[in-house]
Amino acid sequence: MYVIVVYDMEADRTHLMLKLCRRYLVHVQNSVLEGEISEGDLATLKGEIEDLLQEGESVMVYELSSDRLLNRTVYGDDPTENSRFL
Amino acid sequence: MDKNYHIFSDGRIERSEDTVRLETDDGEKKHIPVEHAEAIYLHGQIDYNTRLMSFLNDHGVAVHVFGWNDRYAGSLMPERGQTSGRTVVEQVRAYDDPEQRQSLAASFVRGSIHNMRTNVTYYNSREYELGGVIEELDNATARIDDASDISELMGVEATARRAYYQTFEAVLPDSFAFDGREYNPPPNPVNALISFGNSMVYANCVSAIRATALDPTISYLHEPGERRYSLSLDIADLFKPVLTDRLLFRLVNRKQISRDDFRDEVGSCLLNEEGRTTFLKEFEETLERTVEHPTLNRKVSYQYLLRLEVYKLKKHLLTGESYDSFKRWW
Repeated sequence: MYVIVVYDMEADRTHLMLKLCRRYLVHVQNSVLEGEISEGDLATLKGEIEDLLQEGESVMVYELSSDRLLNRTVYGDDPTENSRFL
Repeated sequence: MDKNYHIFSDGRIERSEDTVRLETDDGEKKHIPVEHAEAIYLHGQIDYNTRLMSFLNDHGVAVHVFGWNDRYAGSLMPERGQTSGRTVVEQVRAYDDPEQRQSLAASFVRGSIHNMRTNVTYYNSREYELGGVIEELDNATARIDDASDISELMGVEATARRAYYQTFEAVLPDSFAFDGREYNPPPNPVNALISFGNSMVYANCVSAIRATALDPTISYLHEPGERRYSLSLDIADLFKPVLTDRLLFRLVNRKQISRDDFRDEVGSCLLNEEGRTTFLKEFEETLERTVEHPTLNRKVSYQYLLRLEVYKLKKHLLTGESYDSFKRWW
């Protein structure tokens, strides 16, 4: 499946969420990551997100069963392009 | 299924923030999602340290290194998650039993000729006249059962492959003359594409074998010890027509790859970086493509087919269930 993760954290804690999500997804913009993920990994990731979260912070996970359902338009550079060819 | 990552830049990969980070010589930093990685392919000059190795080991990620002239230079494999003395014993026993080895080797040859034939039939049904090649492949198949030893089987396979390569002459445009298979080093673009593609198939088979307890050095058609992971050569032969050759025809005929994607040196011709990227993008997409599996009743990716092939072999060795090699059915 394909997910987009958006988060809002205390300024000195944003790097923690970035670090967590980067293990699974591609970082596309400040506080935004996206990418293909398996259902199992997503369940693990959600658990880890919940553990990390403190009061007043929020994370949104948008899920699509496949990236084919997603209409995605990018203006400017696309960070997910060539993410597998470095 | 996890993905393969390819690094063309020069630089350094390291463990950083619980994932893998590439720092290129230009100072750029890029991340690889470690939970999502099946293997990392190094095509550039890369430094790494032992800390990274243990980290990749914990996550079961393999590293395949490609050196001078794109030659496969070896793999850094995670410590075996799977160990089974019994499997290795059975694997060696099957090698040592002339009858069983012969039947396994025959199965590999039968499968690989079948898969070559599928490609030829495909192009024959289009505008090309390849009836002669099909006939030669059928003759080769007929000789499999009569082969009295492994070297004869190798001969049958080699004859079939030589006939099969006539397809390349017919299907590819004149600007991509082929003139027979040559390597070490490949002298022209078509040979360069075949070499590069086949080395990718080979490395992917190494990953697949490593996921089981089978020993990659004990093989049946190829002689063990000929090259390091000879079992990978046995398995790769089945998949080369499906993964490398069809892709090659498509890329050249649709002009996605042109003469500019190669660099020529004295006596050799290799893909340049742009060419390799184009090829690999399509190659990785092919690995992810899925087909309906007739007995599993679900869709499986081409990459998973490699894995299944090794599982089938292992099952044969452990339970005696007959081994029927991969034959393209779609």
